[in-house]
Amino acid sequence: MLKAMDDIEGKIINNNTIAPGYRLLKIRLSRPMDQMVPGQFVMIQVPDREVFLRRPFSIYESSHTTLSLMYKVVGKGTESLSRAVKNERVSVLCPLGKGFTIQKRDVYLIVAGGIGIAGVHTLIQRLGKRATIFYGCNSMAELPLMGGASDLNPYISTLDGSVGFRGNVVQLLAKHMKTLKNKDVEIFTCGPENMLKSLKKLLEREKIPCQASFEERMACGLGLCFGCVKKTVDEDEPYKRVCREGPVFDLWQVCL
Amino acid sequence: MASLFVKLFGKTLRNPVMNASGTLGYGKEIEPLWNIETMGAYVTKGLSLKPHHGNPTPRVWEERRGLINSIGLQNIGVDRFFKEHFPFFKQKKTPIIVNFFGFTEEDYIACAERIKPDKLIVALEMNLSCPNVKQGGISFGKDPVMVHRIVKEVKAVTRIPLIAKLTPEVKNLREIAQAACEAGVDGFTLLNTIPSLVVDIQKRSIPIKGGLSGPVLRPVALKAVYEISSTLPVPVIGTGGIMNHNDALSFIMAGACAVQIGTATFIDPFTIPKTIKGLNEYLENCRCPRIKDIVGAAHG
Repeated sequence: MLKAMDDIEGKIINNNTIAPGYRLLKIRLSRPMDQMVPGQFVMIQVPDREVFLRRPFSIYESSHTTLSLMYKVVGKGTESLSRAVKNERVSVLCPLGKGFTIQKRDVYLIVAGGIGIAGVHTLIQRLGKRATIFYGCNSMAELPLMGGASDLNPYISTLDGSVGFRGNVVQLLAKHMKTLKNKDVEIFTCGPENMLKSLKKLLEREKIPCQASFEERMACGLGLCFGCVKKTVDEDEPYKRVCREGPVFDLWQVCL
Repeated sequence: MASLFVKLFGKTLRNPVMNASGTLGYGKEIEPLWNIETMGAYVTKGLSLKPHHGNPTPRVWEERRGLINSIGLQNIGVDRFFKEHFPFFKQKKTPIIVNFFGFTEEDYIACAERIKPDKLIVALEMNLSCPNVKQGGISFGKDPVMVHRIVKEVKAVTRIPLIAKLTPEVKNLREIAQAACEAGVDGFTLLNTIPSLVVDIQKRSIPIKGGLSGPVLRPVALKAVYEISSTLPVPVIGTGGIMNHNDALSFIMAGACAVQIGTATFIDPFTIPKTIKGLNEYLENCRCPRIKDIVGAAHG
């Protein structure tokens, strides 16, 4: 069931660098956003006339009238957003998309890679100590991306080996697979597509239930344009909208 | 009291503002934000005889003041649309224009035949920008002979008024429109997106080829509306980069009896209701009682 979405005027509280190339944008909304589901996202209008379309961002944190979005500076939109300063106005379309569904399970695993932590951060807040977190990033410098997750004893991997396991997060998870045997597990994940691909491979044999949050270039964020699709195993209608049927999909339904 | 009512093919629309095909999903998607019955008419996503999966990603690409899309006409097919979505418009008493397409003449004809007249169906809008697979992939809309033939064939199988949505990628738009008119077309939607592409200079590749829409297209579309509405005797619906009521007015004054809004909705999903409100305020401010009185006002 889609929650009521709304277009809300917001004002930037701060837009600070939290790790090299990553920022946390905090917005005060002029009125409260409708109750969100972990995994949902927003579309914001970057305060710059050169940026034409809105940009989608996962909700990193939200309270009554404040909203935090964590982003990596990767292109024209985020580049421009990184220059936005306190008190600038932004228009926030929220909350959007289908988030994670939390069913009763014995074990909840959250697997995130890089900026993918932003897509599961509210889920981590919701599940708290009930979740076991696996987080992978490039190096120690990116650990601040974890935010509150760092208090929940996460398993950490870094590609350069500066902290935790040296390697990627799926390799790290592979070392723990034995402990999951015969348990009622569900995995929630968000990260680069290559990570999701190797995760799918790792889980293939056991077919462990897994909900994955995806990203795609978007135009509207509302399901109007069919621009942001993922190919699924549904033969009748293979392309599903990331902004509407997603961004969270059953990993086993998505063609990677 | 100002009146935004317009008459199109004998049907009265509460205002001249519609969505451009493929920019408002199947209609229901916008309902959490505003009611579909706000619009003069809803234009369906392009429908085909059989469901069509569309293109792989990337399907959208931002340009300066524009958007390139390569959705590839993904749709559930005409039959499923009428089964699953038409009842919604019936319930909302919202008139619709059914946009349809095909890759062969037979596709167009068969698709048009499936659509039964209904008091809520204002017209069929024929997307003529599709490649004709039996003629080496050239767009139907680029060749006046092909346009004449297909319009005639479709007109022969339906009683519903027929609009031709033309592609700007032609040598002589007037000639194409003339051919459609001679074959009995009832109106035009001008214009479809402009074929375009993007070059990734890092990867030395082409990430997307598709149709360019948005404000960058507006002056081109305005010229088409002006030219066709002043020379041919059928109604013209104007579309191309309309961002607000002033843009809508420019199309109306150029000769469009109604307008379609597409790309702007992606930036501000309230553009359609805001445009309707803006048009109403314009009429009240200039003490012009009826929108239809300013259609073509710029022609002098």
